Order: sequence, then C-alpha cells, then structure tokens
Amino acid sequence: MKIRLAPYAFIAPASILLLAFGVLPILVALLVSFTDMNLAGLGNWSRIQFIGFDNYVELFTDASFWQALMNTGLFAVIGVPSVILLSLGVALLLNHSNSRFFRALRSFYFVPAITAIVAIALVWGYLYNTQFGLFNHLLSLVGVPPVQWLSDPALAKFSVALVAIWRGTGLNIIIFLAALQGVPKEYLEAASLDGASRIRTTISITIPLLRFAIFFVTITTIIAWLQFFDEPFVLTKGGPLGATTSVPLFLYQTGFSSSQFGYASAGSVVLFLIIAIVTVIQLRSRRADVDQ
Amino acid sequence: MKRTRLVWVAPLAITTLALAGCSAGDSAAGNPDELTVWVMGDSSANFEELVAPFVEDSGIDVDVVAIPWDSVDQKFTTAVASGNGPDVLQIGISKLRTFADSGALLPLDEATVADYPNLAADTFIDGVSGDATAIGGEVVSVPWVADTRVLFYRSDILEENGITEPPTTWDELRADAKTLAKRGDGQFGYYIPQWDSALPVIMTWDHGDEIVTADGAVDFDTPGFAAAVDLYSGLYADGSVPTNADFDQTQGFISGAAPMLVSGPYLANAISSAAPELEGKWSVAPIPGADDDRSVLAGSNLGVWGATDNQEGALALLDFLSTAETQLTWYGLDGQLPTVKSALEDESLASDPLTAVYSAQLNNATILPLVPNWDGETGKALLDALNSIVLTGADRGSTLDALFQATGSTSIN
Repeated sequence: MKIRLAPYAFIAPASILLLAFGVLPILVALLVSFTDMNLAGLGNWSRIQFIGFDNYVELFTDASFWQALMNTGLFAVIGVPSVILLSLGVALLLNHSNSRFFRALRSFYFVPAITAIVAIALVWGYLYNTQFGLFNHLLSLVGVPPVQWLSDPALAKFSVALVAIWRGTGLNIIIFLAALQGVPKEYLEAASLDGASRIRTTISITIPLLRFAIFFVTITTIIAWLQFFDEPFVLTKGGPLGATTSVPLFLYQTGFSSSQFGYASAGSVVLFLIIAIVTVIQLRSRRADVDQ
Repeated sequence: MKRTRLVWVAPLAITTLALAGCSAGDSAAGNPDELTVWVMGDSSANFEELVAPFVEDSGIDVDVVAIPWDSVDQKFTTAVASGNGPDVLQIGISKLRTFADSGALLPLDEATVADYPNLAADTFIDGVSGDATAIGGEVVSVPWVADTRVLFYRSDILEENGITEPPTTWDELRADAKTLAKRGDGQFGYYIPQWDSALPVIMTWDHGDEIVTADGAVDFDTPGFAAAVDLYSGLYADGSVPTNADFDQTQGFISGAAPMLVSGPYLANAISSAAPELEGKWSVAPIPGADDDRSVLAGSNLGVWGATDNQEGALALLDFLSTAETQLTWYGLDGQLPTVKSALEDESLASDPLTAVYSAQLNNATILPLVPNWDGETGKALLDALNSIVLTGADRGSTLDALFQATGSTSIN
C-alpha cells in the first residue's frame, strides 16, 4: 500500500503548531514541577535544583490550594448546569422565528461573549459596588440594606459566577441555534400531525436530536469552568480572603506574582490531570451511551 | 469580481498585523551611544523632557520606554529569561528584593560609583541611602523618588464635630474616628484599606517594635505588634471604619464618608483634580504616632542592568538624575518627591504647605523590610490574618499564632 504524502503535508502545519505550543509546554511544565525554579533560577539555570516530588507534597499540604480546589469545584457545579440550561433555553426561544428582530436578538446575546473582559469587569464592578452600585441603589428603593456583593466571602462567589454565566452563554447559544436549525423539519411536522403540543415536541424530539451539541457544549463548558480565571481576577483578585480564588488564579499568583515557577508548574500539572480525567470520563460515558 | 477582492482583505489584514507584531520587538543592538531606560507609568513624555539636557551634553541617545505598573513583573521576568533587558530601569522598592535576587542587576559598590560624586550614599535621605537598600550586603540600586504616608483629614468636618486639631497620636485618632462615625448611617471616621500591608507595620513601628529581629528574621510576636492589632481591630469594633472591600477612598474622602485617611501624595493630586471645590477644607498632617511617629518610606530606585553594554553611559545617567536640580525638575514635571537631601531642603518645596509635611515625614520614615516577595507572602499573610480577625471574626489568638508560624522563617538575608 503506497503511503500518500499529501494528507500529512496538509495537516503538518497545524500539528506542528499544536505540538510546539500545546504539548511541549505541558511537558516543560512537568519537568519544571520537579525543580525549585524561581526568578533567580530563570536568570541563571545553574541555580535550579532538582527537588523531586517536594512541590507536590507542599501543594497538597497548602490550605490555600485546597481552598482554590474547593472553589473551582463549587464554581463548576454552579456554573456548568446554569450555562447549559440557560443557553439551551434561550436558543430554543430564539429559534422561534427568523425575523429581523430575532436575528438582532442573537447578536445581543452574543455580544457579552466577545466583549473585552476588562471592560465588563469595570462595568460590573460599579454595578456591584457597595456604596454607589446600581444593584444596591435599586435595593435601597425597596428598603433593603446595602448588600456586600463582592466583599462577603459567600456572596462574592455567586456574584463572580453570575458575570461568568452571563458571558459564557453567548457562544453556546450560537452553537445550539446552529444545531437546532439542523433538526429535520419532517420530524416536527410529523409530530404536529400526531397532535403533539409544542412543549412535547421540544422535549421528545428536538432535544434528543441535539444530543451531540449538548455533549459538545457540556465538555467545553466544563473545561472552561475548571479553568475559571478572568472574572475573579478582574472583579475581586481572588478575594475576599481567597473566597473567589480558583485554581488557575492560584497558579497565576504563585507563578507570576511570586515567581515560584516550580511550585506553580506542579499545580498546573495537577489541574491538567483533573481536566483530563473529567473529560475522559465524559467521553467514555458517551461512547457507552452511543453503543446502546 | 467584488467577492474575490473582498476575500483577499481578511488574509491581507491578518498578515499585516502579524508582520507588525514581529517587527515591534526590535531591541537596540550594543551601541555605546544609546541607552534604553524603563520608566514605570503610563507615559514616557515627562521623563524624556527631563533627560533632554543629558542627551545634549553627553551625545547619548536615551530611549525611554514606559511600563505600566501592572505589567512590571511580566516584563522583568521576560527580560531575565531572554537576557534582553534595558540599560537603566526604575525599580519600585517593594520589588527591589525580587529584582536583586534574580541576579540581573549590576552591583553598585564603592569602586563602581567612585567616579560619580552624586551617587555617594550621603547625598540621599537616610531611609534609602547606601546600605538601607542593600540586599545580602550588596547595593544594586540608587534612590530615585520617594513616597510616604501621612494623615489626610477634612478640617471642615472635624471642626463641625468639635475636633479643632488633627489627631497626633493613634489613640486620639481612634477616639476622633469614633466621634465622627456617630454622624450617621454610612458615615465613618477613618478608612483602613484592606489591601494596605504597610499600615499595620506603621502601627507596630509607632508602638516601639520592629517587625524583623536583629538577625533579620520576620517576627510579629512582639508587644508593639499586639498593640497594633488592638488598634486595628479596635477601629473595626468601634464601627469607625467601613467593612466592604470596594470602598473608594477618594470618593469617600470627598463625600465625607471617610474624613480621615492615611495615604500618600498621589491622593492629594486625586482630590484636587476630582474636587477642586474642597480647597481649604482639607489638609495633611504628620502620621499619628505613639512612642514614635514613624511612617513608611516607599518610592522607586534606579538600577543598572547587569548585562548592559553601556555601563559608563548608564552610570552617567544615574549621576545626572541624582543632582538636586534634576530631582526638583522631576518634582515639577511629575509630582514625585526627591530623595536627594539638598533637593528636599529647597525653598520651592518648603513653600507648599502639603509638601512641607511630606518632606518632614520623609525624615522619619523607613522602608518595609526587604524580605523576598513582601506583597505575595509576608504582607499577604499579615493582611489575611488581620482581615480574617476583623471581617470574619476569626479567633485572634490562633490566627496570630498561625501568622507567626507562617512568617517566622522569612528573613531579609
């Protein structure tokens, strides 16, 4: 059998980029995680020492790392179902018609996803402000005392997650809309001929046909929420007292602000393994599902 | 036809952007008539104006690059990793230890600076001169500009509440703050920034204790620190300070919600520009004290990149920047206080009442100990401990014990 070179030549550039900028950094991080590299070591490689698993041991006895893990888990549990359900719901409603108004609404829902996070953080920071934020002002009109949206450790998590949910639905709505428009009209017509109500049609026909889109959105949303960084970084910088610090933010603080590259690399390897395991579990369960 | 033409626009735009990105990183090759200077801030215009006489006299072309404060860490890390740095760089004192530890700065020992009289240690104020900023016994920077913390107060609001003079001791401040907080809901007497790790240190110093032992190890287990914690938590317990993390101190001062603050000269500029109508209704006073009224000395130094290929030019520039004349010109251009003693004694500074207070305070101010990563480790641990006591009601004894444990092994050596 003659080996055809053309396919390999076409995928080579993308593969090389992926290997160089995706796979190689992970291997380098793995290597660095076994050293005590910091800023001094960065300047002079002879100062770097091999310390084996010390970074990992220190990581698992670090209370702030556990707090970051708990926070990340909580964010994922709050955020992922919210994003999926909200995106699906909005997509189903937007699919109702193709008029100009509905098409304008699509852009409207997509805009938060493409707006710069710093701009969003500035605006939401002022909305949430305890003294002169819009939310507290509205609450004061109905006699509710000011709420510390971003200062209360428990409430701050929900406030930050809310902004991320608002942003995260944008892209997923577009994906679901595209999938919805791939649902064959014959099935819907047949269902209405059989006398099914619109809700019944949606639940029993449309949603099962969206299985693959839902699966794709679930995986990408879970991966995104396990890497939750932008919103806590710009809104609360991980505060108050680490209540909104997620694992990526923890890694950023130890790696870039404290320049403890070895320690942060160990943390990033741990995060990588968590995400990989979660994704593999989902893929396996999907395969089992499809085989049935 | 139209479609084909439009199709080419996108790839062309992307290619142009990519090429622009590639060419932006052109660093100066080793040229003895050039110097690259990294200045922190948003604009290099003022600094370029400042060094214009130097450029004329020496014939050296000075390329000033403005680095925003937020990206200082990243820029420096990249420079250390790649080996391509500037020739001269501004170093915030809180970052001095980190930069020095990287080994990227040129040691400025007596032999190196012998030819430059303006760089002698006694030219500068004691808090930052010579060995005060030495790390591991080695001096790697010279002082540039100074910053300190003083008491800002709304004289009109204080008078309305029967306080004719600003408080001179911390106990007086606490009592005054309690009186002012009684004005009503949403009105406080003082503001403690939850991110300010210098404030509890100032309070400790003023109650007679250092936060490092004679050997240089960090030690918070002292009576002075205990008094500082009493004061810090007392202000919260009295209800005199706001508890939300997003309190805007400038707005709070202007609206009167926080009529007393401890802050630096930048706040004076912020208040003057945001609320010029408040002129005459506020002023500054030396920081309150107890056994001592010592404040913190912050600011920036200047360092020379170790791998520079124009060492003479760099040192000549440092020498130029350390003359009283240049420092006073810089104060006029940028509002940052000089570190050169003779500049601080100049009439132009003494005539402005605010600046007179700052300069006087500079004579009784010391830098935070140069431990590795104050902001990320020791300072953060200190703030987390204090904030968890006052904001979440954590047990004082065990929280402080944990703090002593966590920071006890950090040292300036």
